[in-house]
Formats: sequence, C-alpha cells, structure tokens
Amino acid sequence: MSAVIKDDTRNQTLVSLRGLNKHYGDFTAVDNLDLEIQDGEFLTFLGSSGSGKSTTLSMLAGFETPSSGEILVDGQSLVSVPPHKRDIGMVFQRYSLFPHLNVRDNIGFPLAIRKLGADETRKRVEAMLKLVRLEPFAHRKPSQMSGGQQQRVAIARALVYEPRILLMDEPLGALDKKLREDLQDELRQLHRRLGITIVYVTHDQEEAMRLSQRIAIFSHGRIVGLGTGYDLYQNPPNAFVASFLGNSNFLRFTASGNGAGHFEGQPVTVRLTPGLANGQEALIMVRPEKALALTVEQAAREPLPAGWNEVTATVAELLFLGESQTCHVVTQGGTALTVKALSAAGMPMQPGDQVRVRWAVADACIYTDWAESDLSKGAGAH
Amino acid sequence: MLLSPNAMGRPLRTGLYLTTGLIAAFLLLPVVFIILLSFGSSQWLVFPPPGWTFKWYAQFFANPEWMDAALASLKVALLTTFAAVALGLPTAFALVRGRFPGRELLYGLFTMPMIVPLVIIAVAVYALFLKLGYTGTLFAFVVSHVIVALPFTIISIINSLKLFDQSIEDAAVICGASRLQAIFKVTFPAIRPGMIAGGLFAFLVSWDEVVLSVMMASPDLQTLPVKMWTTLRQDLSPVIAVASTLLIGLSLLVMFIAAALRRRAENA
Repeated sequence: MSAVIKDDTRNQTLVSLRGLNKHYGDFTAVDNLDLEIQDGEFLTFLGSSGSGKSTTLSMLAGFETPSSGEILVDGQSLVSVPPHKRDIGMVFQRYSLFPHLNVRDNIGFPLAIRKLGADETRKRVEAMLKLVRLEPFAHRKPSQMSGGQQQRVAIARALVYEPRILLMDEPLGALDKKLREDLQDELRQLHRRLGITIVYVTHDQEEAMRLSQRIAIFSHGRIVGLGTGYDLYQNPPNAFVASFLGNSNFLRFTASGNGAGHFEGQPVTVRLTPGLANGQEALIMVRPEKALALTVEQAAREPLPAGWNEVTATVAELLFLGESQTCHVVTQGGTALTVKALSAAGMPMQPGDQVRVRWAVADACIYTDWAESDLSKGAGAH
Repeated sequence: MLLSPNAMGRPLRTGLYLTTGLIAAFLLLPVVFIILLSFGSSQWLVFPPPGWTFKWYAQFFANPEWMDAALASLKVALLTTFAAVALGLPTAFALVRGRFPGRELLYGLFTMPMIVPLVIIAVAVYALFLKLGYTGTLFAFVVSHVIVALPFTIISIINSLKLFDQSIEDAAVICGASRLQAIFKVTFPAIRPGMIAGGLFAFLVSWDEVVLSVMMASPDLQTLPVKMWTTLRQDLSPVIAVASTLLIGLSLLVMFIAAALRRRAENA
C-alpha cells in the first residue's frame, strides 16, 4: 500500500451523489438522494432492510444503474463506467471468495486480471497476507477456513489493487458477536492506517457507532440523518432518527409561547425552537439516560434545579440489566416513559410508587413535524 | 427414522433384504447374463455356456462393420455431448438469470423432450430430415440426439447454477474482470461439476439411443445399437453379446467417472 497516513486536515469531497433515484416499477428504492463522501472518511449507511442503503451501495459499485441522477468521483461521472473499470474495492456479506482458488490466488486475482508482473504480484499478495495476518493460511481453500478468516481474505482481495474507495456490504453480518467486535476493531485500525475511503452498510447501529466517523441514516430511500454518531444520538435531526437510534421517550405537549408549554396539564419548559407556534402540538424527546426518576421523598429533599422539568408518574416496572437499570413509568395521562441509570446510582422505588421524572431542558429535543410511524420504533429495534 | 433398518424387527428386516435383493437381481441379471454369454463358447447363446472363449471378441474386433458402428457411436456420442453442453450452458444461464416474460414457458419447452414419446420425436425429425435430405448423415444423428439429451444437460447445469452465489461473480467483476471474464474464470469453474454431469448425461443418452438412431441410420452410417438391432433380425450371434457388453462397459465407466467427480466436488 502507498502508506498514506490519515491526515485530519484533508476533507475534500471524493464522491458526490446528486439527485440519485432508483425505481423498480412502481417501487422507489432510492429517492432523490444527495450525499457528499469525504476523501478518507469512514462513512456508514445505516438503515433497516429495504431502506435503500444497499441499493445505493450497489449503484456506487456499478451493479445497479441509477434511474436518474449523477455519481461523481473526483468530479468525473461514474454512471456510464462499468463496475470492472471503476477501481472500487468491495467486500460482500457472504465473503464471496472464489471457491476453486486458494487464499493466495484469491488475493492475487485482481492483479492477475490487471496482468501485473509475477514479482510485483507476489510482493503485494505477501503484504496483504501480512496485513490481514493470514500468512500461514496462504495455501488453504476458502472452504477450509472459518467465516472470520474468509472475510479477512475478502478484505485483502479488495485492498490489493489499492482502490481509493472500499465498499462493504454488511461484511460482518454472518459472524457471531465476539468475532464481529474483534473484526470491527481490526477494521477501524486498518482504516486509520491506510487512509482509504470506506463506505460501510449495516443495519446494526452499535456497529455503525463503533466504526464510523459519519453515519447516514436511511429510511424509505432517503437519507434522514447525516452526521457523527455523537451528533445523531445527542441531537437527532428528527423524530425518526431519535426513535431509530438508541431508545427515546416522546412527550406530546402543547406550546404556549416559544419556550414553554403544557404536558398533560403540567407546565414544562422547552428549548427555544424556530417555528413553534402558540397552541401548537409538538414533541419533547428525552433519552432514558438523560432523565432522572426520584421518589417523592427524594424530590422533596432535592428542589428542582433551574432549567429542569418535572412530571409526576407511577412506576410500572423496574429492570436490572447489570451495569445499568431501567425504570418504566406511566404518567397520569398514560404516556409511558423509560428512565435509565447506572446501577451504582441505585433506584430505591418499587412498582406502584409515585415518582417524579426530571430532565434538563437542554437535554430535550423538540420536534414540531413528525409522522406517527416515526415514533413506533420497529425499524432498527434491537 | 421410522423406516430405519436397525429399528425394525428381524422378520421385517429379512423381508426387506430379500425384496431388495430380488429387485436388484431382476435389474442386474440380464446384464450379468449377457456378459457371461459374450464369453461363452456356444454359438447359439446357450446358458450355461459349455465352455469359455474370447473368439467372439476377436470376431467383433476383426469385423469392420462392427468397428465402424462402434466408432460411429463414439463419434455421435462425443459430438452430442459437446453440442448439448455448448447449447445447454447459455440456455441454463438465460433460464436462471434472465428476467423476461415467458421464462417458465421456455423452461417447459426445453424440457419437453423428456416427456414427449420418443417415437413421436423420431418420426418428426425423420420426416424433416428426409425432406432436407439429411438422413444417414452424422449431422442428423447428432441433431436428433441433442434434442433428447439437452433437457438432461440443461437441468443439471441449472441446478449447479442455482446453487452458485452470484455475488462471487460480482466480486470478480468489482476486482476488475469484465462480466464475460468473470463467468469464464469464476462461474464456470464453480459450476463445472454440473457441466460435467450434464455432459455425461448427454453422452449416455446418445450412446445407447436406438429409436431415433434407427430412423437416422443408413447402410453407410449406423451406430452400435442400430447395428445390433439389424444384426439381431438376421441371426443370433454371440457377437451381439460382445457388443452389448461393450455398450454396458462404457456406460458403467461413464457412471463411475460421474460418481468420482461428484465425490471430489463434495470434498472440495
């Protein structure tokens, strides 16, 4: 590999997707998608099946032709370039190694196609074997190797011709959890070392968080959230992303002036939100770990700090999860909320107890525009 | 398993072995019989033979008519094999990967010769070739045999192609191979067992085909089964037993090759 050390100062666009569409008959798989992929970044397409993430990746690879729109790499259109001339690397979900070739010949295949000299081929294949730590397995057939080893061969095969872009289509989906986490760490290190641009597709949000610098969340053929895992989680751009990523509590309130309102008759304060009109119905979103549940006695001892809200609820269920525990409560108006805290903090209440649920105004997101289906998780539930 | 031999009572098991043995004997005895007769010294096909001899084999191999017929059979069978694979391969690809209306119908049409009575195909092909003046040619033999061999070849290749994960071919393409290169370098090697099995089926179908061949034959060109058929109508010579033995021998050889290849493919 040309040892490019990752350089944080470069954030030029390498790939641009512009107005990309893909229709199958009446079905819209990808819907007018725009995306800029930075040179050297690790970008993950996250979404449930049928959200358009894999179709978009397929169009990048060239296996699917866009119904309309443009794919640019370094300003050059790729749309009419056949996949074998795109010089893009790709790793598939089911490894897709060539069953009749041994590991060495699998990795050497792209170089043989490019008619590279024998010496150079051997050198590069050796380097790849070393990179993925499979030197002792060079003569094995794919069928004689474990899933994790096979996928490392597939990664080596995709990197040996030094593509600028590596596409990965749920490459770890078929592996068990422990192995998956090991390979995720390897992959992150590999990316750091090689400085290659990686576009990764997964439906596993933890994997997306673990691996990527940026995540694009797909739903119904569109990108509904784009940013770092941190930003998307802490400040979801919409109710769908809030509900899709991690867990969330939604509280319906009626605004009375900007910055204030009523939730089930109790006054609440919200962050200033553009477009929030007097009397408008809107949503407060609070992450379970950002909310606190206090017994009535605790609440009496600790006055509500400025910039916090408090609502009254009844405990429905307490769950101990090891390092954390959750408390499911129901408000008087019937809204179910979840509060999550580290076990060390303790939760002294019992089911049936009255509690006060508190959250900081700054920690709550406000949504004025949403579809009911956005809130009912389902998609991306783990 | 309900029908596991180990779980059965002794009488039931004995009965099972007995019927299995009888069925096997029923199927195999004629073959054993004919092979023994080809070595028998009586020229009237007496069983058991009064003595043993190789003289019918000597006669067979010394007779240019028999040798010509055997050679013709081999030629026709090999050409049929190649033609059936060459035609079956693209057909199987179209039937498995194609997304076009009428695909199911086309599959039905291609496999029809398996259910249409052979005589009907034979008469139809005979009528056509008679009109075109092709009867008695190698071409007519091969074409008529390919018609009945093709369904076996197509089905065999379709089965292996369906089992082949197409993303492996896509992987070759993204690695820089054109679609055609990928098919030749990756897909064909992967489905080779199916291609070979399909070819062997075609060979066997052609090798012992007699109905079509009788129609296509001329005094100058006839295959081994045809020569046996015509000889049988004149006299009952043990040389026919020799021809039968050779016919069976080659068929068995082909089947052994197929089994060996299958085993190797499974162990790969």
